[in-house]
Amino acid sequence: MVDLSQYLPILIFLAIALAMSAAFVFLPMGVSRLTGTHNPTANKLTEYECGFPAFEDSRSQFDVRFYLVAILFIIFDLEAAFLFPWAVSLDLTGWAGWVTMMIFLFELIIGFAYAWKTGALEWE
Amino acid sequence: MDYANSLYLTGPEVFLSVSGLILTLIAAWGGQKAARLSTILAVGALVGASIITAAFLINPAFEQGGDAFGGLYRMDAFGSVSKLLIYLAGIGCLIVTPRFFDKGLEYRPEYPLLVVFASVGMGMMVSATDLMTLYIGLELSSLSSYVLASFTRSDDRSAEAGLKYFVLGALASGILLYGMSLVYGFSGSTSYLAIRPAFEGTLGTGALFGVIFVLAGLAFKISAVPFHMWTPDVYEGAPTPVTTFFSTAPKVAAIAMTARITLDAFGNQADAWRQVIIFAALASVVVGALGAIGQSNIKRLLAYSSINNVGFILIGLATGTAAGASAMLVYLAIYVAMSLGSFVAVLMLRDKDGNQVENMADIAGLSRAKPMIALCLAAMMLSLAGIPPLYGFWGKFVVFQAAVEADMVVLAAIGIAASVIGAFYYLKIVKIMYFDEPANVVTGKNDLAHWTVLAVTAIFVSPLGYLLTIPMGALADRAAAALFAVV
Amino acid sequence: MNSILLIVFLPLLAAIVGGLGNRALGNLPVKLITTGALFVSCALSWPIFLGFIAGDAQATVVPVLQWVQSGSLDFDWALRVDTLTAVMLVVITTVSALVHLYSWGYMDEDPDQPRFFAYLSLFTFAMLMLVTADNLVQMFFGWEGVGLASYLLIGFWFRKPSANAAAIKAFVVNRVGDLGFMLGIFGTFWVFGTVSIPEILAAAPAMSGSTIGFLGYRMQTMDILCILLFIGAMGKSAQLGLHTWLPDAMEGPTPVSALIHAATMVTAGVFMVCRLSPMFETAPIALGMVTFVGAATCIFAATIGTTQWDIKRVIAYSTCSQLGYMFFAAGVGAYGAAMFHLFTHAFFKALLFLGAGSVIHAMHHEQDMRYYGGLRKRIPLTFFAMLAGTLAITGVGIYWLHAGFAGFHSKDAILEVAFARGTEMGQFAFWMGAFAALLTSFYSWRLMFLTFWGKPRWAESEHIQHAVHHGHDDPEAHNPPVQEDAGHDAVHAVPSADQGDGTAGYHPHESPISMLVPLGVLTLGAVFAGFIFNPQFLDSAEFWGGSIYYNENLIHAMHAVPLWVKLTASIVMLLGLFGAWLAYIRDTSIPGKFVEQFRLVHRFVYNKWYFDELYDLIFVRPAFWFGRKLWKIGDEGIIDRFGPNGAAWLVLKGTGAAKRVQSGYLTSYALIMLLGLIAAVTWVLM
Repeated sequence: MVDLSQYLPILIFLAIALAMSAAFVFLPMGVSRLTGTHNPTANKLTEYECGFPAFEDSRSQFDVRFYLVAILFIIFDLEAAFLFPWAVSLDLTGWAGWVTMMIFLFELIIGFAYAWKTGALEWE
Repeated sequence: MDYANSLYLTGPEVFLSVSGLILTLIAAWGGQKAARLSTILAVGALVGASIITAAFLINPAFEQGGDAFGGLYRMDAFGSVSKLLIYLAGIGCLIVTPRFFDKGLEYRPEYPLLVVFASVGMGMMVSATDLMTLYIGLELSSLSSYVLASFTRSDDRSAEAGLKYFVLGALASGILLYGMSLVYGFSGSTSYLAIRPAFEGTLGTGALFGVIFVLAGLAFKISAVPFHMWTPDVYEGAPTPVTTFFSTAPKVAAIAMTARITLDAFGNQADAWRQVIIFAALASVVVGALGAIGQSNIKRLLAYSSINNVGFILIGLATGTAAGASAMLVYLAIYVAMSLGSFVAVLMLRDKDGNQVENMADIAGLSRAKPMIALCLAAMMLSLAGIPPLYGFWGKFVVFQAAVEADMVVLAAIGIAASVIGAFYYLKIVKIMYFDEPANVVTGKNDLAHWTVLAVTAIFVSPLGYLLTIPMGALADRAAAALFAVV
Repeated sequence: MNSILLIVFLPLLAAIVGGLGNRALGNLPVKLITTGALFVSCALSWPIFLGFIAGDAQATVVPVLQWVQSGSLDFDWALRVDTLTAVMLVVITTVSALVHLYSWGYMDEDPDQPRFFAYLSLFTFAMLMLVTADNLVQMFFGWEGVGLASYLLIGFWFRKPSANAAAIKAFVVNRVGDLGFMLGIFGTFWVFGTVSIPEILAAAPAMSGSTIGFLGYRMQTMDILCILLFIGAMGKSAQLGLHTWLPDAMEGPTPVSALIHAATMVTAGVFMVCRLSPMFETAPIALGMVTFVGAATCIFAATIGTTQWDIKRVIAYSTCSQLGYMFFAAGVGAYGAAMFHLFTHAFFKALLFLGAGSVIHAMHHEQDMRYYGGLRKRIPLTFFAMLAGTLAITGVGIYWLHAGFAGFHSKDAILEVAFARGTEMGQFAFWMGAFAALLTSFYSWRLMFLTFWGKPRWAESEHIQHAVHHGHDDPEAHNPPVQEDAGHDAVHAVPSADQGDGTAGYHPHESPISMLVPLGVLTLGAVFAGFIFNPQFLDSAEFWGGSIYYNENLIHAMHAVPLWVKLTASIVMLLGLFGAWLAYIRDTSIPGKFVEQFRLVHRFVYNKWYFDELYDLIFVRPAFWFGRKLWKIGDEGIIDRFGPNGAAWLVLKGTGAAKRVQSGYLTSYALIMLLGLIAAVTWVLM
């Protein structure tokens, strides 16, 4: 039987988060009603997210360069993220770990050089 | 010392990786002009890797194989034989590639580069004795393959093929990963050696789920039914040299990998996975045969043919015996030659403008326009159909023999019956080439590289191939024995 | 005595070389090879035969190859040479060699000559295997081999539907007999535990009187075995009941008729009964059946022979009738007499057939005797040959001098021995035989008179008209459509001979030398064979040397029959001759009047006693009906439907399904993958 008691803090955290977010959504709405500034327009009622309309044809076209940049970012970001556990455990892995990471970084640099040379990083 | 040993055991992969990095730089700085140089270097790299592998194979110090990097990786006769097949197939595919892109299609130095990286991945797959190694190798080869499939970016079909392959491949990877996590969860390890004793006796539901999910993920790679759906579309859409590559090297890698994981890691659960493998084998044989009949595109037909052949190979695996594994390797070797030969023959079918001919109607009466190509293609088809005295018969024979010896007579009988259905469309191609009114579409010329590959494969599948039976059988037996030596 | 190997296998070699070489070798080499091989065989056969005649040869067995060793079934290929075989050897090789030679001329215009000669040689080989057989299985091999060769040769002109039909008919009717023969062999093996002929014959007397039970009946073992074997002989030798194929077999080229359907193959049944004579001697009921069937065939075929118009058919029925003589001779125990008649008959019947072929050749493939007439002076050599043959078959000879043509010696002996036998069946056979001899004389002379005497009646013949109008050497005329009988009412409308000279301007020509030489040789045989070999065949137990059952007492009784019995044959011969002369020379209106008077009888006989129609009704139609049902319901309805066609249908459906599933939509592909995964999990968890 799983001991659920240790998950209690998470449960409390969830409850607080739920309460807070509910408060953030509903408090302004209630306040605006009560203060008499409730004046909905079409624009006000549209959802808002990150500069894009939330509901529209999903087949709309983006500039492919967004993807390229995003993919390059993810690759280098993720691989840089490997450095954190490596740095923390370097005393355990020793020289072998160090050499391995250097090889890894070297390969990463070659990839970077390739991306740079072929013009993947240029916007135009 | 331990590291030196490990590096020696991973020699082919290390060599290919370094070569790949150099090729990357050449591609970056050389640009399109370096394409031919890059191809030559890539072929050289694969030849080098082959030599290293062969040298390992005959090294008496490692007759029993060896483990590298603390059991993540194992190099033995089985892996070596598989790798040799993979490299040779890769070489064959690379040789015939440049000519394909002569007609205005963009050939770039990245192409051989991707083949080399895919080969690294496949080498890892067949040598992996740990789920992590396996997954990394698998993904390395898969990612390279996705790009290769859509290499002719301007061609809609090629782009579609790449996308489909990618999406479905991602799904399969997800299934595989989920299965691996379950296996890890229930066995406490990702190492085959540790999983094997952990999975003994009656398995719990979760562990069974894990095994099945892993198998499903692998089945996608070997395009066994019902995870074959991508195959016809991708084979048809991808550039023909890429299709040639897909139908040969990755097949070997995926099957070798599946054999190793089922026989080693899940060796104590043969009854659990055998049913799945048998189902996949029979379904592949039947669906491959049925699907091919209605096709009018040669590449698509050959795609179904490859599904069909995978079924026969899986029959060898399903026996779960050393004889079955050996038969499977023999079949694989012959299949690689037949597949390579057929696709190269298709590659050589060009109209007067040098464009590829893929339509069955266009090869009507080929025997009069191009008698040698027609002869070789006919030999390939008859060999694929398993008609003696061509060598394809021997592959089927050893597989069925292994099945019968393992008391799986029904399986063998159904396989034989299905190969009769299969014979229909193979013979249909022969009939179209030899007996139909000439369409006179195929008139283009071909270069020496194509003829060489075609001639070598044709000689291999011809009755002369039987001369290789004894050494090949001995090698396959040794490889299969290595697979069972771990226990 | 290894010449026997050459005798037997040279024809096979020639057949293989000629048949496979065929057109690559060309006409002349094939003809030379086959004919040469046969003449060598023939030349080697005569010394063997003469050795037995002289009495200084021994029966031998020459082993060839091991054949079957399976449990108690153990027998080899071996060639047996004894007196009986030696007699058959000379008959076969001589007639075959002559027929080969004759065919040079007769088949000269045929486009497929190599095939023809290869078949002829193949037939000869099979026939030699049959007569040299040391065991029943080898005999059966030869038996079937001659059947095959006969089938191939009857249907040699395979573009003629009637020839194909005749070939199939011969084959099918023979199968009926062969079934009996096979059952006989099986039964013999079952009873004796061996198929070796000497061993069986040695053991046969001890088996006499034993019975076997079958479906609740007790039957005499030997009788049942011999009857089964005799059914085989009936089929091969065209005895009453299984005779229907022989007249139709005349569709084949005439040399074939002479070789296979007169001299050799059809006598295989007689040979077989003689070979197994010690066995038949232990089976009185079977012997009675042999006698009865022989006598009945004898008279039955003779009656039909008197009414036919086709020259070859007349001789074919005559053959049937003469085979009847041989069988009833064997049936009454005079195997020597049966073999003697077989021997002489081979010469004169081959002569008659080849003579008829010569006439047909001269008359541009007209076979209907109504359109002959007056040929005596046109083709004199053929005429003399035919005359010799007729004198031989009708048994002309002078009793007091013991001198006569071949048939005189053999046929008279048969009649006498039947009378001498003293049994009721023997008496029956004697009277039937005597009456048949009368009819034989009548139809033989009728044939002669219609063909060679009188005035030419050729003008009405389509063949002759064709020849006159299109030139004589029109190659197309070589495979003529056979004229079927013109129907009952036209039967006796002999074309009047007074239209001009009746020749229509046609000039028959004598046959080439290659055809005349065999005629000459056979004429010698027809004239002298009986006279020369009479003492050995009939009166010498030493000559036969135990190769047949020899009944000394019966022969003594034969010589002691009353004088009127001895003269019967000659008297009826003269009666027949007189009748024929009366009806076809003196007053040609007599046949018409006779037919008017006895319309029903004539129609019955003319239509061959309606055997074909009867069989059609009883066997052929039901068999066709049954076969059609099996075909439509059994084969197409069940086997094809659920077998190949069903499988193909399933495959097509499966292909359609596979194509539909392969829709090209990613989502459906993913769905199928997941469904497959779920199915696999479910399966394993269950």
